[in-house]
Amino acid sequence: MNESLISPFNITHPTAVQTSLFASALFARFDPLGRYIGVGGSNGSAAIWDLETRARIRSLEGHVKAVTSLDWSKNSRWVLTSSKDWNVIIWDLASKCDPIQRHSTIRFDAPVLSASFHPRNSKIVLALISTGEVFVADLRKEHRSRVELCEPQDESDVDGQSGRMRSAMTVARFDPSGKHIFVGTSSGFILVFSSRNKTLVARHKISGAGSMKGLDFVKSGRRLVTNSSDRTLRQFNLPTYPPPNLDGTFIDDELEPTHRFNDPINKTAWYAMAYSPDGEWLAGGAADPATHKIYIWDISNDGQFASALDGGREPLVHLHWHPSKSSMASTTNHGNILIWHCPNPERWGAFAGGFEEVDENVEYEEKEDEFDIEDEEVILKRKMKAEEEEVDVDTIAEDSGRRSAQPDGMDVEDEDYIWADQETEDTADFRMRIIMQDDSDL
Amino acid sequence: MDPLAGMDDSSTDDDTASQTTEDDPQVPEHQAAPAPPPLPIAPPAPAASPRERPNYELRHTLRGHTMSISAVKFSPDGKLLASCGAEKVVKIWSPETGEFLRNLIGHTQGLSDIAWSSDSVYLASASDDTTIRIWDVETGLTHKHLKGHTKWVFCLNYNSASNLLVSGGCEGDVRIWNVARGKCMKTLHAHLDYVTAVHFNRDATLIVSCALDGLIRIWNTSDGQCLKTLAEGHDAICQHVQFSPNSKYILSTAHDNAIRLWDYQTTRCLKTYTGHVNNKYCISACFSVTGGKWIVAGSEDNKAYIWDLQTRQIVQVLEGHTDVVVAVATHPTQNTIATGSIDSDLTVRIWSDRGPKPERS
Repeated sequence: MNESLISPFNITHPTAVQTSLFASALFARFDPLGRYIGVGGSNGSAAIWDLETRARIRSLEGHVKAVTSLDWSKNSRWVLTSSKDWNVIIWDLASKCDPIQRHSTIRFDAPVLSASFHPRNSKIVLALISTGEVFVADLRKEHRSRVELCEPQDESDVDGQSGRMRSAMTVARFDPSGKHIFVGTSSGFILVFSSRNKTLVARHKISGAGSMKGLDFVKSGRRLVTNSSDRTLRQFNLPTYPPPNLDGTFIDDELEPTHRFNDPINKTAWYAMAYSPDGEWLAGGAADPATHKIYIWDISNDGQFASALDGGREPLVHLHWHPSKSSMASTTNHGNILIWHCPNPERWGAFAGGFEEVDENVEYEEKEDEFDIEDEEVILKRKMKAEEEEVDVDTIAEDSGRRSAQPDGMDVEDEDYIWADQETEDTADFRMRIIMQDDSDL
Repeated sequence: MDPLAGMDDSSTDDDTASQTTEDDPQVPEHQAAPAPPPLPIAPPAPAASPRERPNYELRHTLRGHTMSISAVKFSPDGKLLASCGAEKVVKIWSPETGEFLRNLIGHTQGLSDIAWSSDSVYLASASDDTTIRIWDVETGLTHKHLKGHTKWVFCLNYNSASNLLVSGGCEGDVRIWNVARGKCMKTLHAHLDYVTAVHFNRDATLIVSCALDGLIRIWNTSDGQCLKTLAEGHDAICQHVQFSPNSKYILSTAHDNAIRLWDYQTTRCLKTYTGHVNNKYCISACFSVTGGKWIVAGSEDNKAYIWDLQTRQIVQVLEGHTDVVVAVATHPTQNTIATGSIDSDLTVRIWSDRGPKPERS
């Protein structure tokens, strides 16, 4: 809201650490509205931090082993955590107590490596477990089910030639629209499933990538970046996928990256990557054992390397970009969260009314009528005239953050959306209660 | 001179506007607005209905304060009214029945301002004992006692998420507090004189403050940077300031008997509301957006004034108080106004709009 007052040219990538939160975290994720940050720790504890007060406001206590991922529903009310204790727990932040009571638990047959909500409905949960299997658990009354996403076997396999073992799934994510589920495999494939039918829509071979380690999308869902064991980030433009074929056929091709990003000197691997909200910057968190380094590439400028941010001596383990601002959260291996921002230069001119700062001397030019003596009455009249303009003091323009949370240009009549929106509870506005904390727990 | 000048303008407006009347129903309404200020003159005949006027009548007179009242505030859910004054307590009333409900007792000096959290559960009070207390209104207990200001705390407000509180003190500092912890997060050495009002914008990214040094300043909440300073004339010491409900403008009252609406992006004064008396006391003004769009403010002639937001005409004067009206508040959902007065009056009055007045023939 105050962006225009600060400076129109400032909205770029973050450059400096604003604060660090001592959170004993393995990772930190902003909520979709950018007000809170959710963190998970290695002892099974998770917590919600308020970014404005930079204080922990809720504890989520329920896991007994390391928390592996955390996800937010689109209105920030529901939070999901997955853990190595084989459980996915869903929390309702509207609950009135702290620590929060769990809302529901989904139990799997192996440690859960990651889990996420469907972007439109927090009752649909995608989970990847350590055996390399991916499940979609639907918690809605009408659709209650748990479906495993399976890659159809090639006919050659059926012949017993075992040309290719079914490879383990190593990463799974919904795309921003929620229509498709993208799954990366240990053999360098990206599988695209329909969220509704759970059938394979496309299979992309990423040559030379090795095992897939991570996926991230720009908000529009048109571009994808992958992280893989060959220490290279690849960006792809995604095709538009047709609705799934009932006869089981699917697109099977090789996807050529538009850009490859790597560290040519140290050849470091990447722990995480994140697009800026406008998709113009890509940040990569380097898996450097000695320093905390974030590489920034300028996507709008043909993927040129822009800068490397140095976050001190504690190596980076996770990275997430704020959903609407030029801000990032990176987690160190000591469990601290660094909040990056783009510092505004001090403007001393702002302290004097009607004072304007200029970068260079400006030749003063007198305006034609500047020192004309005018009748006070005329001045007053002109002022009154100017004040006749209508003003609008109470119409609230829609939040830009909220609007961009919706992937653009998709029609509402879409079958996938109708399916996903059934029984959704994520549309209502949500505001977290303030719970007064005792001074003693400081 | 003033009203005459306005009329001259409207007549020239008429000439240009008459051609477009048929196309745009907005226009006649617009031009009817700057119509003659004194009531007795018949409103212009044209077909379009004249702009509605409020019709507030006194509904309750709340007695109980024993010293000057400094602030009245409706709770955001509209169910309660809080008032405070020099006698160290906050009084909670029912605006519906006018009944006194309870006192919030704890401060050791008089109070200057109060603010409700947006869930209407908590109330913060600013006191001359240099502290702020956060009360659980239902139980009347102090939840947090915020200490940090070095002089009297003069004004305060919550942000809409109610996780932050901003306060202004007489040492010139603006402080931002973490409500849940009751700790000061940031101190802005904002002004050189009493800070008389502070307010968050809707998404709490900005804070506006004003002080007796005559300046209105806008601050970036997250890093405490000063983003802008608005200075009025030398005689216009500003004493109350707030963002409009949509946070596009700010409304300020000043000691030159004028209330101004500013576009803070362009630093332009868009509207000036005059006609009341205000050159000595800190008098608050507020927006009324539940029915017609009005500006409501107290005055030193013992009245409260209601202006039309757009035309800047006084549309109603509330008479009844017997001393200066320093505090006003508008109900969040109903057409109800609360006013509070000082020394010899000491009442809170609740006024309700009785709907459109029958046409006077």
